[in-house]
Amino acid sequence: MRETRLWSWHLLVIPIIIVLLGAHFAVMHYAPVFYGVSVEKAREFETMIERGKSITQFVLYILLLAAALYHGLYGLRGIIRELPMSPALGKIVDMSIIGLGLFIFAFGTYVTWWTFSFKIGG
Amino acid sequence: MNSNKPAYNNRLGLKGWVYAGKYTFERYLYLGHRLTGMGLIAYMLLHIIETANRMRGVEAWEELMGLFASWPFKIIEYLLFAAAVFHALNGVRLLMTELGFFLGKPKEPVYPYSSSIKRHRPLTYIIMALAGLIIILGGSSLFFP
Repeated sequence: MRETRLWSWHLLVIPIIIVLLGAHFAVMHYAPVFYGVSVEKAREFETMIERGKSITQFVLYILLLAAALYHGLYGLRGIIRELPMSPALGKIVDMSIIGLGLFIFAFGTYVTWWTFSFKIGG
Repeated sequence: MNSNKPAYNNRLGLKGWVYAGKYTFERYLYLGHRLTGMGLIAYMLLHIIETANRMRGVEAWEELMGLFASWPFKIIEYLLFAAAVFHALNGVRLLMTELGFFLGKPKEPVYPYSSSIKRHRPLTYIIMALAGLIIILGGSSLFFP
Protein backbone atom coordinates (compact mmCIF):
# COMPACT_ATOMS: atom_id res chain seq x y z
CA MET A 1 0.00 0.00 0.00
CA ARG A 2 2.83 2.36 0.88
CA GLU A 3 4.53 1.77 -2.48
CA THR A 4 1.23 2.31 -4.32
CA ARG A 5 0.77 5.61 -2.52
CA LEU A 6 4.31 6.75 -3.35
CA TRP A 7 3.84 5.73 -7.01
CA SER A 8 0.48 7.56 -7.16
CA TRP A 9 2.15 10.74 -5.91
CA HIS A 10 4.85 10.26 -8.54
CA LEU A 11 2.10 10.41 -11.20
CA LEU A 12 -0.04 13.08 -9.54
CA VAL A 13 2.75 15.67 -9.51
CA ILE A 14 3.27 15.34 -13.30
CA PRO A 15 0.64 17.96 -14.31
CA ILE A 16 2.12 20.41 -11.76
CA ILE A 17 5.60 19.94 -13.21
CA ILE A 18 4.45 20.23 -16.83
CA VAL A 19 2.59 23.51 -16.20
CA LEU A 20 5.13 25.14 -13.88
CA LEU A 21 8.26 23.97 -15.71
CA GLY A 22 6.66 25.11 -18.97
CA ALA A 23 6.10 28.54 -17.40
CA HIS A 24 9.69 28.55 -16.10
CA PHE A 25 11.02 27.78 -19.59
CA ALA A 26 8.79 30.49 -21.07
CA VAL A 27 10.02 33.13 -18.61
CA MET A 28 13.72 32.25 -18.45
CA HIS A 29 14.60 30.59 -21.74
CA TYR A 30 11.97 31.73 -24.25
CA ALA A 31 11.30 35.28 -23.03
CA PRO A 32 11.62 36.73 -26.59
CA VAL A 33 8.89 34.39 -27.85
CA PHE A 34 6.43 34.73 -24.96
CA TYR A 35 7.14 38.19 -23.51
CA GLY A 36 8.94 40.09 -26.23
CA VAL A 37 11.91 40.58 -23.90
CA SER A 38 15.47 39.40 -24.62
CA VAL A 39 16.82 36.44 -22.67
CA GLU A 40 19.61 38.69 -21.33
CA LYS A 41 17.01 41.16 -19.99
CA ALA A 42 14.95 38.34 -18.46
CA ARG A 43 18.04 37.12 -16.61
CA GLU A 44 19.29 40.48 -15.34
CA PHE A 45 19.77 40.67 -11.58
CA GLU A 46 17.16 43.45 -11.13
CA THR A 47 14.59 41.67 -13.32
CA MET A 48 15.14 38.41 -11.48
CA ILE A 49 14.77 40.10 -8.07
CA GLU A 50 11.69 42.00 -9.26
CA ARG A 51 10.06 38.74 -10.38
CA GLY A 52 11.10 36.99 -7.19
CA LYS A 53 9.27 39.52 -5.03
CA SER A 54 5.91 38.31 -6.29
CA ILE A 55 4.12 36.15 -3.74
CA THR A 56 2.60 34.10 -6.58
CA GLN A 57 6.02 33.31 -7.99
CA PHE A 58 7.32 32.51 -4.51
CA VAL A 59 4.53 29.98 -3.89
CA LEU A 60 4.70 28.49 -7.39
CA TYR A 61 8.48 28.07 -7.25
CA ILE A 62 8.27 26.23 -3.92
CA LEU A 63 5.54 24.04 -5.39
CA LEU A 64 7.64 23.32 -8.50
CA LEU A 65 10.67 22.59 -6.34
CA ALA A 66 8.74 20.12 -4.18
CA ALA A 67 6.97 18.44 -7.12
CA ALA A 68 10.08 18.15 -9.32
CA LEU A 69 12.29 16.93 -6.48
CA TYR A 70 9.75 14.32 -5.44
CA HIS A 71 9.17 13.12 -9.01
CA GLY A 72 12.86 13.05 -9.89
CA LEU A 73 14.18 11.50 -6.71
CA TYR A 74 11.42 8.90 -6.55
CA GLY A 75 12.31 7.94 -10.14
CA LEU A 76 16.00 7.77 -9.25
CA ARG A 77 15.21 5.63 -6.23
CA GLY A 78 13.29 3.22 -8.46
CA ILE A 79 16.25 2.88 -10.83
CA ILE A 80 18.74 2.32 -8.01
CA ARG A 81 16.50 -0.08 -6.09
CA GLU A 82 16.11 -2.19 -9.20
CA LEU A 83 19.76 -3.20 -8.93
CA PRO A 84 20.51 -6.30 -6.84
CA MET A 85 21.00 -5.21 -3.22
CA SER A 86 20.31 -6.40 0.29
CA PRO A 87 17.29 -4.98 2.17
CA ALA A 88 19.70 -3.15 4.50
CA LEU A 89 21.41 -1.44 1.57
CA GLY A 90 17.99 -0.67 0.11
CA LYS A 91 17.09 1.12 3.35
CA ILE A 92 20.32 3.12 3.18
CA VAL A 93 19.49 4.14 -0.42
CA ASP A 94 15.99 5.22 0.65
CA MET A 95 17.29 7.24 3.59
CA SER A 96 20.03 8.88 1.49
CA ILE A 97 17.53 9.92 -1.16
CA ILE A 98 15.13 11.32 1.44
CA GLY A 99 18.02 13.19 3.08
CA LEU A 100 19.24 14.61 -0.23
CA GLY A 101 15.70 15.63 -1.20
CA LEU A 102 15.08 17.39 2.12
CA PHE A 103 18.45 19.17 1.96
CA ILE A 104 17.92 20.43 -1.59
CA PHE A 105 14.35 21.42 -0.80
CA ALA A 106 15.47 23.39 2.26
CA PHE A 107 18.28 25.05 0.30
CA GLY A 108 16.04 25.90 -2.68
CA THR A 109 13.38 27.30 -0.35
CA TYR A 110 15.99 29.42 1.40
CA VAL A 111 17.23 30.86 -1.93
CA THR A 112 13.65 31.59 -3.03
CA TRP A 113 12.92 33.23 0.33
CA TRP A 114 16.16 35.26 0.05
CA THR A 115 15.00 36.58 -3.34
CA PHE A 116 11.49 37.26 -2.08
CA SER A 117 12.72 39.28 0.91
CA PHE A 118 15.62 41.04 -0.89
CA LYS A 119 15.57 44.81 -0.42
CA ILE A 120 16.58 46.65 -3.61
CA GLY A 121 19.17 49.32 -2.90
CA GLY A 122 20.22 47.69 0.42
CA MET B 1 14.98 -19.96 1.87
CA ASN B 2 17.09 -16.95 2.76
CA SER B 3 14.67 -13.99 3.05
CA ASN B 4 17.54 -11.50 2.64
CA LYS B 5 18.11 -12.64 -0.96
CA PRO B 6 16.41 -10.45 -3.57
CA ALA B 7 13.46 -12.28 -5.13
CA TYR B 8 14.56 -11.25 -8.62
CA ASN B 9 18.15 -11.51 -9.72
CA ASN B 10 18.84 -8.63 -12.11
CA ARG B 11 21.46 -10.73 -13.87
CA LEU B 12 22.15 -8.46 -16.85
CA GLY B 13 22.34 -5.31 -14.72
CA LEU B 14 22.87 -2.10 -16.69
CA LYS B 15 23.71 -4.00 -19.90
CA GLY B 16 20.12 -5.21 -19.97
CA TRP B 17 18.98 -1.60 -20.39
CA VAL B 18 20.38 -1.51 -23.91
CA TYR B 19 19.95 -5.03 -25.24
CA ALA B 20 18.69 -8.33 -23.97
CA GLY B 21 17.15 -9.79 -27.09
CA LYS B 22 14.54 -8.33 -29.39
CA TYR B 23 13.58 -5.01 -27.87
CA THR B 24 10.68 -3.01 -29.29
CA PHE B 25 10.56 0.72 -30.08
CA GLU B 26 8.80 1.34 -26.75
CA ARG B 27 11.64 -0.37 -24.90
CA TYR B 28 14.11 2.11 -26.35
CA LEU B 29 11.75 4.96 -25.41
CA TYR B 30 11.84 3.53 -21.90
CA LEU B 31 15.64 3.65 -21.99
CA GLY B 32 15.51 7.24 -23.27
CA HIS B 33 13.04 8.11 -20.53
CA ARG B 34 15.40 6.80 -17.87
CA LEU B 35 18.49 8.49 -19.28
CA THR B 36 16.77 11.85 -19.75
CA GLY B 37 15.21 11.52 -16.30
CA MET B 38 18.59 10.98 -14.68
CA GLY B 39 20.06 13.85 -16.68
CA LEU B 40 17.24 16.17 -15.66
CA ILE B 41 17.44 15.35 -11.96
CA ALA B 42 21.23 15.82 -12.02
CA TYR B 43 20.79 19.15 -13.79
CA MET B 44 18.05 20.22 -11.39
CA LEU B 45 20.29 19.68 -8.37
CA LEU B 46 23.09 21.67 -10.04
CA HIS B 47 20.64 24.34 -11.19
CA ILE B 48 19.44 24.99 -7.63
CA ILE B 49 23.02 25.31 -6.41
CA GLU B 50 24.05 27.45 -9.39
CA THR B 51 21.11 29.89 -9.14
CA ALA B 52 21.94 30.36 -5.44
CA ASN B 53 24.85 32.38 -6.81
CA ARG B 54 22.50 35.41 -6.70
CA MET B 55 23.19 35.59 -2.95
CA ARG B 56 26.80 36.53 -3.75
CA GLY B 57 25.62 39.76 -5.34
CA VAL B 58 25.04 41.46 -8.70
CA GLU B 59 28.57 40.97 -10.09
CA ALA B 60 28.64 37.24 -9.37
CA TRP B 61 25.18 36.84 -10.89
CA GLU B 62 25.96 38.82 -14.05
CA GLU B 63 29.22 36.93 -14.48
CA LEU B 64 27.36 33.62 -14.30
CA MET B 65 24.67 34.79 -16.73
CA GLY B 66 27.42 35.95 -19.10
CA LEU B 67 28.84 32.43 -19.01
CA PHE B 68 25.42 30.95 -19.77
CA ALA B 69 25.06 33.25 -22.78
CA SER B 70 28.12 31.63 -24.40
CA TRP B 71 27.64 29.06 -27.19
CA PRO B 72 28.68 25.91 -25.31
CA PHE B 73 26.13 26.70 -22.61
CA LYS B 74 23.46 27.53 -25.21
CA ILE B 75 23.95 24.07 -26.67
CA ILE B 76 23.75 22.48 -23.21
CA GLU B 77 20.60 24.52 -22.55
CA TYR B 78 19.10 23.23 -25.79
CA LEU B 79 19.97 19.62 -24.97
CA LEU B 80 18.32 20.15 -21.62
CA PHE B 81 15.22 21.54 -23.30
CA ALA B 82 15.14 18.58 -25.73
CA ALA B 83 15.54 16.12 -22.84
CA ALA B 84 12.73 17.82 -20.91
CA VAL B 85 10.37 17.78 -23.92
CA PHE B 86 11.11 14.13 -24.71
CA HIS B 87 10.76 13.09 -21.06
CA ALA B 88 7.50 15.04 -20.61
CA LEU B 89 5.79 13.80 -23.76
CA ASN B 90 6.92 10.21 -23.33
CA GLY B 91 5.75 10.54 -19.72
CA VAL B 92 2.30 11.59 -20.95
CA ARG B 93 2.26 8.46 -23.15
CA LEU B 94 3.27 6.28 -20.19
CA LEU B 95 0.62 7.93 -18.03
CA MET B 96 -2.05 7.18 -20.63
CA THR B 97 -0.84 3.58 -20.81
CA GLU B 98 -0.85 3.32 -17.02
CA LEU B 99 -4.44 4.56 -16.94
CA GLY B 100 -5.46 2.15 -19.72
CA PHE B 101 -6.14 4.64 -22.52
CA PHE B 102 -5.53 3.78 -26.19
CA LEU B 103 -4.82 0.14 -25.46
CA GLY B 104 -7.99 -1.22 -27.01
CA LYS B 105 -10.38 -3.72 -25.50
CA PRO B 106 -9.11 -7.12 -24.36
CA LYS B 107 -9.46 -9.71 -27.14
CA GLU B 108 -9.15 -13.45 -27.55
CA PRO B 109 -5.53 -14.31 -28.37
CA VAL B 110 -6.13 -15.41 -31.96
CA TYR B 111 -3.25 -15.56 -34.47
CA PRO B 112 -2.05 -13.13 -35.86
CA TYR B 113 -1.91 -11.63 -32.39
CA SER B 114 -2.76 -7.99 -31.85
CA SER B 115 -1.02 -6.89 -28.70
CA SER B 116 -1.93 -3.80 -26.73
CA ILE B 117 1.51 -2.42 -27.59
CA LYS B 118 0.71 -2.63 -31.31
CA ARG B 119 -2.68 -0.98 -30.79
CA HIS B 120 -0.96 1.74 -28.78
CA ARG B 121 1.78 2.30 -31.36
CA PRO B 122 0.05 4.93 -33.57
CA LEU B 123 -0.25 7.12 -30.46
CA THR B 124 3.43 6.48 -29.72
CA TYR B 125 4.39 7.68 -33.21
CA ILE B 126 2.15 10.76 -32.95
CA ILE B 127 3.57 11.73 -29.55
CA MET B 128 7.17 11.23 -30.68
CA ALA B 129 6.53 13.26 -33.86
CA LEU B 130 5.08 16.02 -31.68
CA ALA B 131 8.13 15.86 -29.39
CA GLY B 132 10.42 16.12 -32.43
CA LEU B 133 8.49 19.11 -33.75
CA ILE B 134 8.62 20.96 -30.41
CA ILE B 135 12.35 20.20 -30.09
CA ILE B 136 13.02 21.61 -33.57
CA LEU B 137 10.85 24.69 -32.97
CA GLY B 138 12.44 25.23 -29.56
CA GLY B 139 15.88 25.07 -31.12
CA SER B 140 15.01 27.57 -33.83
CA SER B 141 13.70 30.04 -31.21
CA LEU B 142 16.73 29.56 -28.99
CA PHE B 143 19.42 29.86 -31.63
CA PHE B 144 17.68 32.25 -34.04
CA PRO B 145 15.53 34.54 -31.87
